[in-house]
Amino acid sequence: MELIKTSNGEEIFIIDAHIALWDGSKENQLNIHGEQFISCFYDYHKNLSPKEYWWPKNEFVKYSPEKLVNDVFIEGCVDMAIFQPVLLKEFYKNGFGNFEANEELAKKYPSRFICNGTFDPRHGERGLEQLEENKEKYNWQGVKLYTADWYGNSKGYKLSDDWSKRYLEKCQELGIRNIHIHKGPTITPLNRDAFDVADVDDAASCFPELNFIVEHVGLPRLEDFCWIATQEKNVYAGLAVAIALIHTRPRYFAQIISELLYWLDEDRIIFGSDYAIWEPKWIIEKFLEFELPEDIQEETGVTLDLEVKKKILAGNVARLYNIDIEKQKEKLKNCKLYKYTA
Amino acid sequence: MDKEKQVYSMLEKVYDPELDQPLTELGFIDHIVIKDNHVEVVIRLPTYWCSPNFAYIMAEDIKKYVSELEWVKTVQIHLLDHCTSDEISRGASAGKSFSEVFGALSDGDLEELRKTFDIKAYYARQEKLIKYLLNRGMTKKEINSLSLQELNELPLPEEGKLLREKYLEKKKVLNHSSTFAITTPEGKPLSEEEFSDYLQGAKLTRLSMEFNAHYCRGLLEARYNLSAAHEGSLAK
Repeated sequence: MELIKTSNGEEIFIIDAHIALWDGSKENQLNIHGEQFISCFYDYHKNLSPKEYWWPKNEFVKYSPEKLVNDVFIEGCVDMAIFQPVLLKEFYKNGFGNFEANEELAKKYPSRFICNGTFDPRHGERGLEQLEENKEKYNWQGVKLYTADWYGNSKGYKLSDDWSKRYLEKCQELGIRNIHIHKGPTITPLNRDAFDVADVDDAASCFPELNFIVEHVGLPRLEDFCWIATQEKNVYAGLAVAIALIHTRPRYFAQIISELLYWLDEDRIIFGSDYAIWEPKWIIEKFLEFELPEDIQEETGVTLDLEVKKKILAGNVARLYNIDIEKQKEKLKNCKLYKYTA
Repeated sequence: MDKEKQVYSMLEKVYDPELDQPLTELGFIDHIVIKDNHVEVVIRLPTYWCSPNFAYIMAEDIKKYVSELEWVKTVQIHLLDHCTSDEISRGASAGKSFSEVFGALSDGDLEELRKTFDIKAYYARQEKLIKYLLNRGMTKKEINSLSLQELNELPLPEEGKLLREKYLEKKKVLNHSSTFAITTPEGKPLSEEEFSDYLQGAKLTRLSMEFNAHYCRGLLEARYNLSAAHEGSLAK
């Protein structure tokens, strides 16, 4: 079993709640935007990864499912991972991410993956039907939403729009309980502050039965996000991107995580590596070793001990997706990857 | 002072609204070209996707400040490698408003957004000053009851003077009439009970801006293969 062990030999179960299998290759790009999108990801990758984890660009734009399995489960010591697909159909012929490819990999390694889907409320009635069909076909437990995505002449949408509410109602009805929201990058001129997270506030109070996971903790609007999360108990913090600071800027990461623990609580913070922008291996290793600097701890009065880390690394998201960790450990013993990592 | 220096001294006054730092420090000025009385300012941003509205605010401000130089007849802005490079470069150079340039894609002009950023910058600068005064041994109570005049008369070392100046600069933008030195962005003084919570909120705003600045600098360095810039106010 590849359960990662702490220095005292305790096994830790890990769920990476934010991974992707993408195709940003030249062949799949429709236009300059597609090229620039993957280049921007690559800048993030180079800027924050430790040097020994840098990928060559040609590998980064498109990688194999086998590489993902190796990096995430075998090298990365992750036990389960959640696909958060981004389609970007205006930039990529077959989409940047692809439900079918995710699904295929998940079938190959049962109990390893959760495949989330997506919808766009601007697709109107047709999209609502599609959502039902997709639920039927893929049994989605969650969706990843891009409110700043391009669609025809539209400049993005808000979760507080009427159509968005109809889709969220449909999610509630179908049992798609986990709504992951990405804020930014802004890819169309919006006059209002495009990173505004106020619409999450509205949606979270209208739909108390749904969980709203704000990916990247609302960066660049951490303060607005924390404000909303203190009001709404069904709003969660997705750590992808923020946690990648742990290598180059550990003190910044300490400040972010301590503010999150102060304003929210330890039960609403969720780990995600954002693979393949960053590999989970180094992030998890550093996170397990991580201790809050004394002055920051004194100032906020929060605790980041192993128990809290375990919640962030698996416990919290397991609750949202009804995963029984002990049962899951047993199931994974039948996984064909088990022999590589036991 | 030669023309180039004069232009740069004006560019120091242009701030990234979201990060509250000068473009010159952020490395956003690629280069400038001066031909007689015509100035071209070439700018670059951390990503192809940086918010066009933030970029437009910066471009407008470049034109405004550089135009203040007496000898300058025209100011052209050229934004490199951006999803709306053409629109922003042409529009801001011609002095057009954001909504004129982006038409149906914008929901109006940028005044409200500017105000949002002024308020965020106000919180961040205020929190830095308060933290500084606390570290110098003043109590929260003393700080909270300071009048503007008392704040101005405080004998401070250079660093403190700069923090005070920055804070008062933003305070002026927000048109406060209160005589209290420390107020909410709306100009309301704080009770003793409110002060600590208020400070926690202001701190989060400051941190958020600093995180963003860190990401932006890092992405710019990665994008243009720059060596890691001096982190300045980010290093702590």
